[in-house]
Amino acid sequence: MNTRIDSQKAHIKLKESLMIIMLVAPALIIFTTFVVIPVIQAGYYSFFKWKGLGPLNDFRGIENFIRAFNHPVFITALMNNLKIVFLSLFLQLPTAFLLALLIGRKGFFGSMVFRGLYFFPYVLAEIVVGIIWKFIYDPQYGIPTFFARLIKGGDIQIGLLGNLDYAFTAIFIVIFWKYIGFHMILYIAGLQGVPKELEDAAVIDGANKFQVVLYVIIPSMWSAIIISVFLSVIGSFNVFDIVWAMGQGGPVHSTETLVTYLYNFGFKRFAFGYGSAIAIIIFFLCLIFNIFYQKYVVAEK
Amino acid sequence: MATVSLKNIGKVYEGNVRAVDNANIEIEDREFVVFVGPSGCGKSTTLRMIAGLEDITEGDLYIDDKRVNDIPPKDRDIAMVFQNYALYPHMTVYDNMAFGLKIRKFDKEDIKKRVDQAAKILDIEELLDRKPKALSGGQRQRVAVGRAIVRQPKVFLFDEPLSNLDAKLRVQMRAEISSLHNRLQATMVYVTHDQVEAMTMADKIVVLKDGLIQQIGSPLELYNDPANRFVAGFIGSPPMNFMTVDVTEEKGKVYIDEGDFKLEIPKEQGDILKDYVGKQVVFGMRPEDLDYHEEEMKDQTIKCNVGVIEPLGAEIHVYVNTAKHQAIARVGPNVKLQVGDTIYLLPHFEKAVFFDLETELAIGREQRRQ
Repeated sequence: MNTRIDSQKAHIKLKESLMIIMLVAPALIIFTTFVVIPVIQAGYYSFFKWKGLGPLNDFRGIENFIRAFNHPVFITALMNNLKIVFLSLFLQLPTAFLLALLIGRKGFFGSMVFRGLYFFPYVLAEIVVGIIWKFIYDPQYGIPTFFARLIKGGDIQIGLLGNLDYAFTAIFIVIFWKYIGFHMILYIAGLQGVPKELEDAAVIDGANKFQVVLYVIIPSMWSAIIISVFLSVIGSFNVFDIVWAMGQGGPVHSTETLVTYLYNFGFKRFAFGYGSAIAIIIFFLCLIFNIFYQKYVVAEK
Repeated sequence: MATVSLKNIGKVYEGNVRAVDNANIEIEDREFVVFVGPSGCGKSTTLRMIAGLEDITEGDLYIDDKRVNDIPPKDRDIAMVFQNYALYPHMTVYDNMAFGLKIRKFDKEDIKKRVDQAAKILDIEELLDRKPKALSGGQRQRVAVGRAIVRQPKVFLFDEPLSNLDAKLRVQMRAEISSLHNRLQATMVYVTHDQVEAMTMADKIVVLKDGLIQQIGSPLELYNDPANRFVAGFIGSPPMNFMTVDVTEEKGKVYIDEGDFKLEIPKEQGDILKDYVGKQVVFGMRPEDLDYHEEEMKDQTIKCNVGVIEPLGAEIHVYVNTAKHQAIARVGPNVKLQVGDTIYLLPHFEKAVFFDLETELAIGREQRRQ
């Protein structure tokens, strides 16, 4: 009797496993074909000097990696990415959070309008955003020039994107503008999961507005914050289109990011071995961050 | 010492929605006051106005003779227990209870002393290191109460605190909150939609409906001397029976006539009804004030058919039908009845209440009290 039940159980288990395999298989095949294999391939190419055509026989070991870290433009690109990460985390996300606090609650007249306005840039394609802002920054008829002429008069031209001192800031403003709505929406979703009763309880307990946010609201929507920080950091490492559209990493490579660097020095120069090495560096930066984040931040939660 | 006094308090929301109208309530020191009423009656809104979580649109609120309309919740020296407990999910039980004290900058030792003491009273000492999600509903409720008592506030406010607990736990927590009240000797205001909670816990009950206070009184006052049909029907379970009847007079005696039966009203009650001869009134009778009779007694019993029988062990609830009305009677456990039986019910007229058909107010309350 028992063995019969056991065999029945085994049968059901087998059926379940088959079902799982069937459902997971398509995604797994696609993921392997388009992600895992190319990464391994890139890893392999990164040890060669290769033009992308012809035989892959000029093995150079880790030379490509050493070259990258000795190249000042690569270091500029890496630092720019780190700056974007830093500024996003400490400027963009807190601002998005404040906006969410301001317009996240239902009942405020016009809150839906504001949400739409702030979210709108996120819907636009990055290239489109880049082109729009290139017009906005245009030295001849752009907005900074317009205001400069308004205030100072005369025939002034303000070319932020062509200025070594301001180009990065100008581009970061666009990144800030484009993604703030996305993070705001994440926080609004998180805020709506915080019961009003919790805030009431904190108010009765004597907390002021700031303390309510700090001790009750932020911890209660920690999941949303974790996701937002994660997406922001990974996104910051992969910035490409906006920078490309607004100056292709120029002037004089001052606004290069890792991905524009890869494109400029890998693809454009047919240095596929070198390009692959850069791609692998980006991949590992993201991977290390991911592992660290999962282990120390997500798991804590 | 803590008294709470509501003077002509009103609450009007945006769009002219009136939630509470002209509420006058005097809450004495150490009193346990229960606001009761169906959902949407304004009882929670009134409580939240006392707490300071809602602005007061009209009238004045005093705590200990001090007008507190414009004083923020944290300075009103009140504590509140919420319906869904509202425990901070990321904090341990200890931190939940200590939060208000920390915010108020109590020193660490004092906080520990107070939390430990409250935990002891509520029997949750073993749970202090746990997070709320690792607690059962009853335990969470205790922690929520604990968070309120550590501060030793002037007034405790409870907003339907037991409505998320299962029936058995609710009865237990009911008793515990009552004994907590005795122990702390604090002023407590308690909101519920459950009239049993109101009856069992309150020193004073405030019955609300549609934002208006219907009656204020002790549980037994409300039960025995309801001001209107709503209070009569709301307080008591099973509820009071209501029948619309004609009042007639024959040879100096007052009768009520339902159509299917006619009852002679004893002189005392009859005098109250004199003004209503020739009109209709609502005849109210509690289920326990209807005695079961097998035989008809002329002009004294209500003839009816047994519809549903609910044996509860100690008593039986019998749902009966007259020609025009339904009624419930509580009869002894040994009465043998079957669905479809014709039975006769003898009302205790000294307990009957009559209501004006139009205003629904109890008739002759002043006379009856004397």
